[in-house]
Amino acid sequence: MARPFLKVEGLTKVYPGGVRALQDVSFEVARGEFVVVIGLSGSGKSTLLRCINRLVEPTAGRVWVDGVEVTALDREGVRRLRREIGMIFQQFNLVRRLPVLTNVLTGRLGYVPAWWSLVNYWPPDLVQRALDALERVGIRDKAYVRADQLSGGQQQRVGIARALMQEPKLILADEPVASLDPATSHSVLQYVEELNRREGITVLCSLHFLSLARRYGTRVIALKEGRLVFDGLPSEIDSHRFRQIYGEDAVEVEIA
Amino acid sequence: MTGRGLRLAAVLLAVAAFAYGWRVTRIDLGELVTKAHLVRPLVRDLLRPEILERVPRTQEVAVPVALGGAPPPLSPARGPRVEASSRSVRVGQEVELRGEGFAPGRPGRLVWRDATGAPSQLAQFTTDARGSFRLRVRIPDTLGDRGELVAVVVLPETAWRPSETLRLVAERMVETVFLALMGTAMGVVFAVPLSFLGARNLAHGTVGLAVYGTSRTVLNVFRSVEPLILATVFAVWVGIGPFAGVLALGVHSVASLGKLYSEAIEAIDPGPIEAVEATGASRLQVIRYAVIPQIVPQFIAFTIYRWDINVRMSTVIGFVGGGGIGFLLMQYINLLLWQKAATAVWAITLVVALMDYLSARVRERVV
Ligand SMILES: Nc1ncnc2c1ncn2[C@@H]1O[C@H](COP(=O)(O)OP(=O)(O)OP(=O)(O)O)[C@@H](O)[C@H]1O
Ligand SMILES: [Mg+2]
Repeated sequence: MARPFLKVEGLTKVYPGGVRALQDVSFEVARGEFVVVIGLSGSGKSTLLRCINRLVEPTAGRVWVDGVEVTALDREGVRRLRREIGMIFQQFNLVRRLPVLTNVLTGRLGYVPAWWSLVNYWPPDLVQRALDALERVGIRDKAYVRADQLSGGQQQRVGIARALMQEPKLILADEPVASLDPATSHSVLQYVEELNRREGITVLCSLHFLSLARRYGTRVIALKEGRLVFDGLPSEIDSHRFRQIYGEDAVEVEIA
Repeated sequence: MTGRGLRLAAVLLAVAAFAYGWRVTRIDLGELVTKAHLVRPLVRDLLRPEILERVPRTQEVAVPVALGGAPPPLSPARGPRVEASSRSVRVGQEVELRGEGFAPGRPGRLVWRDATGAPSQLAQFTTDARGSFRLRVRIPDTLGDRGELVAVVVLPETAWRPSETLRLVAERMVETVFLALMGTAMGVVFAVPLSFLGARNLAHGTVGLAVYGTSRTVLNVFRSVEPLILATVFAVWVGIGPFAGVLALGVHSVASLGKLYSEAIEAIDPGPIEAVEATGASRLQVIRYAVIPQIVPQFIAFTIYRWDINVRMSTVIGFVGGGGIGFLLMQYINLLLWQKAATAVWAITLVVALMDYLSARVRERVV
């Protein structure tokens, strides 16, 4: 590997109260990869993703994104870094009372003057781009509907459009389909996959179902109790590996 | 001591405390019966508020006069007329007045209305069988350089009209509602910024936490001061009147709204905040796009609710000099004008019930 696009080194997170959510996690990701993070509930997936854009402050270890040492940045530096990292959430995290369009536009907040926000001003070219982003995820007709009027799948597509507005070079997706039914899950993940394939955006995505990880991941890393226990190709996860990651009693559940 | 002994001691102590309390507060249930006759007229008056009053109908004709200088123009009028021998007069001058077209055989009076509109009676008369009268009066010593001679003839029939008390009560009621509104507005202006600073979930870093602690302390201190005491202080400070009431309600509203608002902020969904932060938005942008949209309905609901409470409170605050209907009610009570007091009490009840209903409706709508 040449210079890795994302590099995580000795990452450790101890929450106040003493929970060791991550312990000495290290891995590298090349530009354009679709890396799926798997692991049991509580294994530290969300914490790992949030340490990369510093929504969570790591206790120890270092992170680089595209040559920039994330863990050494000051507040302003973090803000600039976040502009280029899109994030998609399990609960969609839309501002429910705002129109879909405004939710998408918030993806651009890092670039616009603060006082525009006071009067909710958005220049026409940004509005057009937001509409285009909605077009890409197939819900342009919902632009002026309040976000909480949409179905779960539609809301997650708004989440993707919001990330798209950032023109990100990295997308962090924290169980983006865990609240959706199987069919909707696939359609949402296909949009993410398309961004990865067509635009070369690197994706780090945590998923619950191994079948989804196999289908969409170009690589899988697995966490168990905060430690990295697997790093390899999806096809390498056999039943032995599976029990290593999910525990001796686990049974693999298929998602169509 | 055994557990049983302890329990017995506790019971004895409670009985002793109760007996002592009964004595010091001079509870005498018998008085409720023996002295019932004292309260009867009061209750009766409270059930008969002064709302409408019967007043005799009158015919009124005013003749404007000038004291020195040219006589003011007359406006042509239909119906009864009054002519004066002179309309350019001086103090002490005799003027002859001739009235025509009034009701026949009715008592009347002639009133002098000075430049400020203050009336004083000059003479009484009775109209003749054709409804005319003839009268000589002296222009009284007066302020200003003009006045009016007004002939008032009392008709046999009477009319109902809203009582003077009702008018005064309505005026003060409006004052009270606006007093409460201004107090609420003052509360909102200070409570909004304080509530953001005093919301735990928005406090970041040591500075943020220090600001959070300070705001919380300020709110708690303000809240612990009774609005009645505030009103007393402000009545001394800016004088008895509605402004003192506005200040007292305002300060109290800052505290209670601030607490409600910051609790609303603390109860919001952190998800959207995290999402907007993750796009690289600044703190202010996060507040604008992720916090404010989530709290607006609650803020509106709390504010209307506060206004509602402030209307109630301002009646009590009026008792200690805060103006509004409360002050009027206290005056009526002190003068033992129970029927007038009843008018005020009914007005308060009505307005409070109405505010209650409206604020509940609006709250339903926005939340
Ligand atoms: N803010 C926090 N404060 C304290 N402990 C936390 C906090 N957030 C997470 N934890 C703990 O850290 C551990 C890892 O949590 P994390 O959310 O990263 O796991 P996860 O793999 O995303 O789980 P899930 O699949 O349930 O989302 C858990 O034990 C959790 O209880
Ligand atoms: Mg998680």
